[in-house]
Amino acid sequence: MAEAIQLRSVTKAYQRAGESLRVLDELDLTMAGGTFYALMGPSGSGKTTLLNLVGGLDHADSGAVLVGDVDLTRLDGGELAAWRAGNVGFVFQGFNLLPVLTARENVELPLQLTPLSRRQRRAQAERALQLVGLGDRMDHKPRELSGGQEQRVAIARAIATDPQVILADEPTGDLDRTTADAVLQLLQRLNRELGKTILMVTHDPQAAGYADKIIHLDKGKLGRIETNPGRG
Amino acid sequence: MALVPLRYNLRSLFVRSSATALTVCAIGATVAVLAGMLSLQQGFATLFQERGRADVAVFLRKGATSEGESGLTREQCDILTKEVPEVERSGNGAPLASAELFLAVRLRKFDGGETNVAIRGVEPLSFAVQGDDLRVVEGRRFEPASDELIVGEGLLDRIANCRVGDVLRINTVTFRIVGTFAGKGGYRSEIWGDLDRLGKALERPVASRVIAKVREGTDFAAITERYASDLRVQPKAQSEREYLKSQTGDLSKRFTLLGGFLAVIMGIGAIFTGTNSLLGTISARSHEIGILKAVGYRPFAIFASFLFEAVLLGVLGGLAGCLLVLPFQGAETGTMNQTFSEVTFAFRTTPAVMLDAVAFAAALGLFGGMMPAWRAARMTPTKALRRT
Amino acid sequence: MPWKLLWRNVVGHPVRSLLTVGAVAVAVFLVCVLNAVTSGLTRTLDAAAANRLLVQSAVSLFVDLPLSYQQKMASVPGIEAICKWQWFGGRYEQDKGGFFAQFGIDPETFLPSYPEMKITKGSYDDFKKLRTACVVGDELADKYGWQVGQTVPISGTIFQRTDGRPWEFTVAAIYRSSSPAVDNQTLWFQFDYLRESLEQGGATGPLGVGVYMLRMAPGTDPVAVQQAVDAMFENGPQRVQTTTEAEFNRQFISMLGDVPTLLQMIGGAVLFAIFFAVLNTMLMAGRERTRDLGVMKALGFTDRATGMLLVAESLLLCGLGAAAGIGVGLLAEAPFAVATASFLPGFGFDEGTLLLGAAIAVGVGLVAGVLPGRRAARLTAIAALREVG
Repeated sequence: MAEAIQLRSVTKAYQRAGESLRVLDELDLTMAGGTFYALMGPSGSGKTTLLNLVGGLDHADSGAVLVGDVDLTRLDGGELAAWRAGNVGFVFQGFNLLPVLTARENVELPLQLTPLSRRQRRAQAERALQLVGLGDRMDHKPRELSGGQEQRVAIARAIATDPQVILADEPTGDLDRTTADAVLQLLQRLNRELGKTILMVTHDPQAAGYADKIIHLDKGKLGRIETNPGRG
Repeated sequence: MALVPLRYNLRSLFVRSSATALTVCAIGATVAVLAGMLSLQQGFATLFQERGRADVAVFLRKGATSEGESGLTREQCDILTKEVPEVERSGNGAPLASAELFLAVRLRKFDGGETNVAIRGVEPLSFAVQGDDLRVVEGRRFEPASDELIVGEGLLDRIANCRVGDVLRINTVTFRIVGTFAGKGGYRSEIWGDLDRLGKALERPVASRVIAKVREGTDFAAITERYASDLRVQPKAQSEREYLKSQTGDLSKRFTLLGGFLAVIMGIGAIFTGTNSLLGTISARSHEIGILKAVGYRPFAIFASFLFEAVLLGVLGGLAGCLLVLPFQGAETGTMNQTFSEVTFAFRTTPAVMLDAVAFAAALGLFGGMMPAWRAARMTPTKALRRT
Repeated sequence: MPWKLLWRNVVGHPVRSLLTVGAVAVAVFLVCVLNAVTSGLTRTLDAAAANRLLVQSAVSLFVDLPLSYQQKMASVPGIEAICKWQWFGGRYEQDKGGFFAQFGIDPETFLPSYPEMKITKGSYDDFKKLRTACVVGDELADKYGWQVGQTVPISGTIFQRTDGRPWEFTVAAIYRSSSPAVDNQTLWFQFDYLRESLEQGGATGPLGVGVYMLRMAPGTDPVAVQQAVDAMFENGPQRVQTTTEAEFNRQFISMLGDVPTLLQMIGGAVLFAIFFAVLNTMLMAGRERTRDLGVMKALGFTDRATGMLLVAESLLLCGLGAAAGIGVGLLAEAPFAVATASFLPGFGFDEGTLLLGAAIAVGVGLVAGVLPGRRAARLTAIAALREVG
């Protein structure tokens, strides 16, 4: 069973033009392990901030963020980095592959933080790329790939270290419908076959349709949580 | 044809101010080295040329290239002073000419160590030949036929025992300093005394040269020619201006050569730096280039725009380089001249030097900008607009 | 440390990397050359022999000593051999613009006093036998293509022949010196040839000796000899100054003016320029790679590791540049040494010079890398990822 994610009374504010802006306001939220969540809400509702807190990229002002039994708010910068390396994978809207590295090398990058040997790293990166259907493009640089392929490399990178949680921020925002569907199906497969907990920020209701549950955020407060028909 | 507005470039240099500043500094340091060498060369050249007169003749022994190498017996000197018709005469009919003895002697410097100082034995009429170019500013002139010396003011801060009232031992004879003089060019780094007394002290019976005031429009080559087959004396006659020019030649050339060598090598480095900086600008502004192209600017307009920015960067570097050397303006330094005696001269950053330096810097910018500008001009709008 | 990424970042921007490496190479080359000049001068001083003293006029470099001094000095205890040196100052007929030194010396005592000189062609005995013979350095012979047996015409400036023709010296031997104390571009001829020409009216010019070289017997106290010789001529006709060979060389080097300071200032300017160049490159690289750095942080790389990535890249570029600069310098060393031998003795790269080149690379690389490296380390992943690439 994958780890559950718990936010307890989390508050996060940003200073903007001398004014304090509460992005998340005393938010309580529990997400079950092994579930595919979509996170929706208008711009500025705190979706990405929530994702960053769960991913250990940002610190909450108050409250607790628990992933499994680890409270991220108690970790310092170095500990958070080490935690991220083994426990969470990111997928971004802009793919964010390193342009100078090949697909395989991009996927190997997070594996360099593990004690695996060179050969093991290579094997694991290749496995991840095969899983996303890019076994034949491993030595291509990002600019030689299409957008959909780039995003699949990014997904392979996110799962390379076999983390339990995958965080995706508008992963299909830059892709056309067909390509987007393929990427979403891939994420769904990771959830169903490998039991990954997935939290995906999206604007697109059709993309959200691939998730098990849809969490709505509005002005830093939790809205309703829908369960997609036929799932749960 | 439409050109890209220049304020784009100005704004770009301003927005990327740290890259601009670093490139300007890198080019500036290069230019400073060139400007510094040119300033030294200028200082050295003016030192000799400012006192070079066309109406003063310098007679050396044939084959000698400087006073240090030359030697004329006193009889030969007499022939030259009395017989050469071009030499002017004073009110009482005496020729305005003088034999001079020149020798670089070892003297102690204030900072310890020894240096070679030019010592010149002269006849009373030397002062008449020099006219206003040489005047005593402290004390008095030495008395003829006495063991007295006067010292050029350029030496006062460098050489020990040179103040009025001091005593200076030359070989085995003791001389007294009775005056300080101001003079043009290299004279201000010399010590003057009586020809006969110095000749005696130094055990040198021969003089080094004859100097004479000559009539306007004298043909010096003709004098040399006239004596070419004279068995008594075969002088080489030159105007003082010509003589001094030949004296600065070597060292002046050496400064220019060293400056050129350094400027070329450092210039290559500076071009690399400029190219790099501009490539950075272009990759950061590729989006903007794409838009310019999309709205219809021609590749040439883009090329010209970036080249202009490069030259501007170079010129800024050139100005920075000039600023770096200007604090040295007027600083005095010493060196050995052709006759191995120490002369002091000032670092002179003239407007011409600055102009050269800025032009050099602009050229560096031009060369550095060529490749990046070309690259920007060739960018296709679609590629430029594509997010990276 | 992701070494592959480090390398790929360098190779991934070939133009920028090459230009930076090139700029560093130019600077290191220049600094090495400048340093080789100054260290060459020092080396010349260090190479001076301890058993040789030089006697010159205390009044002026350009005053000759009487010939009679030799006899008097011979009586000073501890002096094993005396050799006259007279500066000739002539110009080679075929290359009036070029310059090399010529000296009249005593053949009997000259070579035995300078064991660092080896005859490579011809024979020194032939030199001793023929009045008009000369011995020349191998670099000089190579420069003008002189062969043993050939006659070399030199026109006099200080000493002129009364027949108006140039002097002619026959090359009897070619030498090579293993020490910077004696250069390989000098022509040595018999002092007696000059003396006889002057005495017999074949030439005009001052008859005297510029410098006497005294070779001391082993175990002699040089200070005692110096004092004895100086005291001998204290009351004229020419006072003398007896110095060690090292001090004598130092006097000549100081005539170049304040060369070391000038070269150091230039070296400083070069360093200044190169530091800004590398810093500029690294700041550009750091800024351009902001997103990459953010991604790495999100993946779990520490602040330290991401910062070090830029420092290491800076070091790598500077290291490559230094290697290239030193390489070019080593290639240029030999021709440079020959070209400058007449006025800059002892030019050559030694360990100190090479170490200096390497130290510059490390120093500039570190300092120029630290600034963008710190920025990279302080960057938060969120801020980095928000930046438009």
